[in-house]
Amino acid sequence: MDNNLSILIVDDELSVRDSLSNWFIEDGYSVDTAEDAKVALKKIEAFNFHIILVDIKLPGMDGLELNRRIKSINDEAVVIIMTAFASVDSAVQALKDGAYDYVCKPFDPDAITHIIRNASKTIHLSQENISLQDRIKSLVNVEDIIGESEGILKVLEQVRVVAGTDSTVIINGDSGTGKELIAKAIHMNSSRRFFPMVIVHCGAIAENLMESELFGHERGAFTGAQYARKGKFEMADGATLFLDEISTISMKMQIELLRVLEAKTFTRVGGNREFKSDFRVICATNRDLQAMVNAGEFREDLFYRLNVFSITIPPLRERTEDIKPLSEHFVKFYAEQMNKGTKHIGRRAAKALNNYDFPGNVRELENLIERAIVIGTGDTVQLKDLPLDHVAAKPTWESIQEMEYHHIQGILEKYDWNISRSAKALGVDRVTLYSKIKKYKIEKNK
Amino acid sequence: MSRIKIIPLQFAGVEVLEQMLPLISARFKIETLVSTHRMDLTPFFNPVRSQYNANDIIQKMVPLVDEGDKIVGVTDLDLFIPVLSYIFGQAYLGGSVALVSGHRLVNARYGLADDPKLFSERLLKCIIHELGHAFGLKHCLLPGCVMVSTTYVEEMDQKSDQFCRSCKIQLK
Repeated sequence: MDNNLSILIVDDELSVRDSLSNWFIEDGYSVDTAEDAKVALKKIEAFNFHIILVDIKLPGMDGLELNRRIKSINDEAVVIIMTAFASVDSAVQALKDGAYDYVCKPFDPDAITHIIRNASKTIHLSQENISLQDRIKSLVNVEDIIGESEGILKVLEQVRVVAGTDSTVIINGDSGTGKELIAKAIHMNSSRRFFPMVIVHCGAIAENLMESELFGHERGAFTGAQYARKGKFEMADGATLFLDEISTISMKMQIELLRVLEAKTFTRVGGNREFKSDFRVICATNRDLQAMVNAGEFREDLFYRLNVFSITIPPLRERTEDIKPLSEHFVKFYAEQMNKGTKHIGRRAAKALNNYDFPGNVRELENLIERAIVIGTGDTVQLKDLPLDHVAAKPTWESIQEMEYHHIQGILEKYDWNISRSAKALGVDRVTLYSKIKKYKIEKNK
Repeated sequence: MSRIKIIPLQFAGVEVLEQMLPLISARFKIETLVSTHRMDLTPFFNPVRSQYNANDIIQKMVPLVDEGDKIVGVTDLDLFIPVLSYIFGQAYLGGSVALVSGHRLVNARYGLADDPKLFSERLLKCIIHELGHAFGLKHCLLPGCVMVSTTYVEEMDQKSDQFCRSCKIQLK
């Protein structure tokens, strides 16, 4: 194994430095050594070591003083004091001065392994905490969700209202409408935002694995269960549990889920130890749960337990005013991701997008734009970059003049505004074409 | 041509080592043999700890290595390195010498009935593990891989005498 942690060993005995170096190198740490405090301080000033093992008896400055100096240079370094002479006083003093732990030489191999592993875990957790806090700052704000339609504004208002509570929420919406994004927005605006949102894609988990997935299992619970495993209920302690496609879970699991939701306690599969977990449930479905209850496919008691607050995301075809801002957002996003210069959506492409009914909703729109950025050239997404020719071809105008205007515009764009070729295709002379362009005020598409 | 030489150093079960040769050879794809060499280990005894200093024994073994070979000493004596209270074995990463002790692999030392087969399995794992270090492998986190670090025999019994896929690739 390779890990990214560095260790400095400070001990005046060469044999100790060598033995420990070898031990930690075999564990994949990057290791350096120092024979006294002076050398150690020089190295610590030049490099941020994660873990520093310090012998308490050193020539010149002793280990306790060195520990204090280290803390003034790099407060985050984990210092472990080593000594051949165990003394309660010096141990207490070292810990008071911020040392992580205290070990007596010679160490039991298991003891030192555990201390270093625990220290590594602490360091990783601290690093993870910083990176998660950064991520939280950049994650879903309600204001960041794109949409101007009445439908989406109503959804966002509901998110604001329900986020501050601990109520269970059902998010309804067709596939691709962004149910998970709305769930994240609720989570990120709730008091649980400093914990993860634990996601369970119920539809993607085989029936026989669902129990272990949610409840976890103890070692030996079934063939192959060599080690104990935490389930999602346990992982979601203090956090939000997002159950996607809740309608797909079996009747048996519905009973189990109801029991856990009511008691907030459970046992792992194959175990009898009772675990408590404080989690908030948000679930999502693209099916009408009430209809499923009426048809006897979903338990009524579970439905009422879940359906404390319900949010319905309208499909994209019912909020066409969101297509433009969403498209522009995706163009900006994917152009940046792919390092392309695409900035605009051409008029005909925009019109085609607006006329399309998007059975796959926002996800489909996103995929269309991503594809267009991949295959397109120049700074504008053109109709030819979208697999929507049939939509654009569908006439939406009624008068002959409107039809003429759109037809001439289409031909001009097809021939890149080459007047001679366009006129030939239209079966008119160039002068007639110029007069039509002037009459209809046709402009080159940007 | 490179070889692995197993050298018994105050070790009673030479026939156990001979039975292991094909297995060790298969793991490293190198000819493996038992080579006898007399070495007095008395100077490495530490009376305070009643143990033998593994680092010093390894230093003494270095001149025994022919170019390109790896050697592994196997002993019944209890080994230590200055900073640890005991070790099952010792090798330097990418070095040519390894040392393994069978002292703490014997069931009887833990108040259990003697089990020569289990002892032999543990010893094989130790030898392959330390040779793995000599061939440049670090500790592995994949349960079951012989390169998993173990500090108790119970843990050693959990792992196999095989390298995981990743360690195998690194070994190549």
